[in-house]
Amino acid sequence: MDAPAIEMNGIRHRYDTREVLCGIDLTIEAGEIFGFLGHNGAGKTTAINILTTLIVPSAGRARVCGHDVVESRRDVTRCIGYLPAEVRLYPHLTAAENLEFFAKLSGVAEPRRAVAETLDYLDCADLADQRLGSFSTGMRQRIGIAQAVLHRPRVLFLDEPTAGLDPLGVRQLRETILRLNEDLGMTVFMNTHLLSEVAKVCTTIGVLNHGSLIYKDSIEETTRRFPDEASLEDIYVLMEGAPA
Amino acid sequence: MIATIAAHQMLSLRRQRIFLAVLATLMAMTTLAGLIGWSSHQTIVRVYDEAVRMLGAQGKPAPPNPFVLKPTLSLLSNMAIYIPLIGALLALILGHLSLADDESNGVGRLIFSRQVSRRSYFFGKVAAAAVVLAVILLVSFLISSVSLVLVNGAAPTVTDFLRLAVFYVVSWLYLMLFALIGMVTVLLTRRRSLALLAALGVWLVLTFAMPQFTSGLRPTASLNPITDPVSTSQTFFKVTAKARPFSVSEQYKEVSARVLETGASESTSATVLRVVPIVVLLGVLMLMTARLVRRHDYSRSSADE
Repeated sequence: MDAPAIEMNGIRHRYDTREVLCGIDLTIEAGEIFGFLGHNGAGKTTAINILTTLIVPSAGRARVCGHDVVESRRDVTRCIGYLPAEVRLYPHLTAAENLEFFAKLSGVAEPRRAVAETLDYLDCADLADQRLGSFSTGMRQRIGIAQAVLHRPRVLFLDEPTAGLDPLGVRQLRETILRLNEDLGMTVFMNTHLLSEVAKVCTTIGVLNHGSLIYKDSIEETTRRFPDEASLEDIYVLMEGAPA
Repeated sequence: MIATIAAHQMLSLRRQRIFLAVLATLMAMTTLAGLIGWSSHQTIVRVYDEAVRMLGAQGKPAPPNPFVLKPTLSLLSNMAIYIPLIGALLALILGHLSLADDESNGVGRLIFSRQVSRRSYFFGKVAAAAVVLAVILLVSFLISSVSLVLVNGAAPTVTDFLRLAVFYVVSWLYLMLFALIGMVTVLLTRRRSLALLAALGVWLVLTFAMPQFTSGLRPTASLNPITDPVSTSQTFFKVTAKARPFSVSEQYKEVSARVLETGASESTSATVLRVVPIVVLLGVLMLMTARLVRRHDYSRSSADE
């Protein structure tokens, strides 16, 4: 059996005196689309930063595709793609130039071909020769997704990918995530506030509250477990303990 | 990976308007240095010819042509002013842009979530700055050489070319200092505007404040590499003069003056010694930048601050 796509065991992280993650234990199997929910400042981005090797956890161990994020950083980076919240890339370069740079950094053998194929796959080949500075948020987000999947990673990390997108952009993004998951078998780890999208896209959800994982289960099981709640939003509000 | 980062940085700089604007200014000033040299040469020769004619009419002997006594490269003496002023600003902006974009656009997160080590990143950025400055100075060297040919009406000697080449090598070392200062301030301050202001502050101190202090407050010393008109007797000036070897801007101008033969001559070893503070500071800044890059938190962009 394959190793889980993501494993976190007793992950803690503190910034100065403030503990942001308080011992997270989480396993995400390969092929899942995982929605990581939580209020602002709950520690979702910190968790992604640890899993993408950008920061070293204060305590605990985390593995991505079976590789330790601290000890085998290079192996981890080889199998992940990452789209941070509000990334702007290089506005004075064209989409193709931006993507070619990231393709080279990812060790792609034929960067130009990979860029062309990825843009084709994401239906945005027409954007290749335009400078990013002239793009709308939605267009920029599509290029952002392209840079994250250029090297066909096994795990894709998305941090608030719907931020600033209009309804059409949100729908396009949802379709893209589903396609990447179905066609390429990518495991997707997504931080988001948009619960309606989580319900439509994710197979599993986890809820982070003040640095602690208070819930994790499949969407189906979640709706079964809370039969009285009309939507995922109601369930989330109930979990967070806030008034509905 | 170093080559990829360096090549990307060079492409990025080619597209940055502010960088191109300062580059154009430096090139214009280099051309202007030649034109000013040519123009003053023409004027002086015209006045000299007129004087020779008048003296001849009065039956008096004419003094020798002043340009026969003047070293060929001294016509480019203004370059020793333009490089610490505009060249250093250009280098500062180059260093600033090299890291600030990755910082403020959140690209640093993307770079370091890939198989890129901090070491490759550092060397890639420094290599890009070194190559770009070298190319700029090479173009400047070519413009200067053409200016010399036009002014003199004949090609300069091999020694002149070698001296000019040495001047540009020292200039390259000097400008690398400012490129690294531009990088260090980005890594220390995180905020893009503050980083640029801090870098400009350091430039002002090195280019104007330090020379004023260490040269006994000679008003023109911050610009022109002139020798001390009179030896200062006041204790304060004697003390501040002790710090002169550490003023890299002054050392650069003194070296330039010796190489371009516009200042009082001194032994080669004394001139070489003047380059030492520049090289030492360059080494210190390299180590500092490498250390800051290694420890920098790229999980945050300046937009998060």
